[in-house]
Amino acid sequence: MTTNDYLAKVLVSQTLGEESDELKALQERRADVEKLLRQHFEKSSPTIRYGGSKAKGTMIRESYDLDVICYFPHDDTGAGETLEDIYNNARKALEGKYLVAPKASALRLKDPNPSNRAADFRIDVVPGRFTDTSKGDAFLYRSSGEKKRLKTNLDVHIKHVKESGVTDAIRLLKLWKVRNVLSIKNFVLELVAIKLLKARAASGLATQLEHVWKEFRDSAEKVSVEDPANPTGNDLSELLNDGVRSELTTVSRRTLKLIEESGWEAVFGSVDEKSKDDKREGLRRAAAAVITPTKPWSQGV
Amino acid sequence: MSSPWHKANPTLLEKERNEVEAAYPSLHFHIVNYAVFVRGTFPIVLEKEVFDRYLIEISLLRDYPKSMPIVREVGGRIPHTAERHMNPADGTACVLLPDQRWEVWPPGSTLLHFIDGPVLNFFLGQSLVELGEPWPFGYWSHHADGIREYYTGLLGTDDIRTIAQFVGYLTKENIKGHWPCPCGNGKQLRDCHRDMLRDLSTKIDRKLATESLRKLRERSKLS
Repeated sequence: MTTNDYLAKVLVSQTLGEESDELKALQERRADVEKLLRQHFEKSSPTIRYGGSKAKGTMIRESYDLDVICYFPHDDTGAGETLEDIYNNARKALEGKYLVAPKASALRLKDPNPSNRAADFRIDVVPGRFTDTSKGDAFLYRSSGEKKRLKTNLDVHIKHVKESGVTDAIRLLKLWKVRNVLSIKNFVLELVAIKLLKARAASGLATQLEHVWKEFRDSAEKVSVEDPANPTGNDLSELLNDGVRSELTTVSRRTLKLIEESGWEAVFGSVDEKSKDDKREGLRRAAAAVITPTKPWSQGV
Repeated sequence: MSSPWHKANPTLLEKERNEVEAAYPSLHFHIVNYAVFVRGTFPIVLEKEVFDRYLIEISLLRDYPKSMPIVREVGGRIPHTAERHMNPADGTACVLLPDQRWEVWPPGSTLLHFIDGPVLNFFLGQSLVELGEPWPFGYWSHHADGIREYYTGLLGTDDIRTIAQFVGYLTKENIKGHWPCPCGNGKQLRDCHRDMLRDLSTKIDRKLATESLRKLRERSKLS
């Protein structure tokens, strides 16, 4: 199997098919969220649709969530006078049924049932307001940071990623980010990857990934990104701060070394999925091989 | 305030980093302000075959290795509940009973020992529990009950007052021979458990003993 065949198999293993249990559960939940929002904001006629990796085609099984945007018409005040009001009113609407964890611009939905201990439904609702009748640009509320308003455009973002020709490389880089617990935001990694691979869309996946890692290893301080939806208005530099760049450099250097010494499987692992029984048997054998057993404790009462 | 450990002892940092990164290529060291974080994928491997993997973060705080590494599972896979030995308040993993540290991760041990020992055992247990199996090496009961179980094993009694008095002595700077022995036989310490206590006082940190004593006292009031 060639490296590119192997990477293609990794991608298949990371694909959430339309018929997969995970995606079905998300879609059912999404339908419920949409119903809830439409009932609550009946007179405001919000636009509710998929955003994020689902819309951009960059979702991976290892770490997925669903962004549901809920944008109100530019002249609507029924959902709230200000962006902050919209954000808070959407939160109130969802709190009737969900445990809502506020994020910078989104609302994360969790299970309110105490016996399920706030299980994460992996859904982010992003409230906002269109800037005009064209329903392209939208303003989002930002609950943190100096600027309390963010201008964005979902269609521009989707187009930018989908038409980049490098969505497979993006998905693998996201998997690499997850496996190495890197703090770079997904959408920043997407934008960086697109920029670095601009002239390499026709290259093989392995070449593309190695190029990105070499850039991170050798010139992370020079990497910059612009928000395609608002290139001059949204400053993304803080999202690529020294800490984030240092992580990218360190982990890229080690990744490239690992490929050189042990091959690609050392980076993304085996693509052969183990059966439950094989896994159980292997884990039992691993436990039997432990020389110094230790027991866990719990601080909780 | 003293320098963080990695600045005061850069040789130790290099040693720890080299050891861990050689054994676990998917774990990476990052220095953020006063702490060192080890983040990445922790694999459960047997004979080069990976049976499971967890996304983890290990924090080595300013006073490491005096303070124990703090372990978190950051992939959102393990529920933050006492039953799964995760602290519900802050999501930290209770990989071992701190009072037992001297036995399983004694001073002078490296971070790699900690990862190959309590961390591996903890996540191996999590994987088996997820499949409906029991904890492979058992577990300590929650909170003060686990502390009580541990000292019961050491002292041969489960009387909470005796245990609390014993742990109370471990909180003292000096252990005096004329103190009554906590075992209750009426003898002075010098004629009874003094040597054992003095030995343990070199292994169990006074601050930790104070915290354990507080938990034991809380429990004895409840029961």
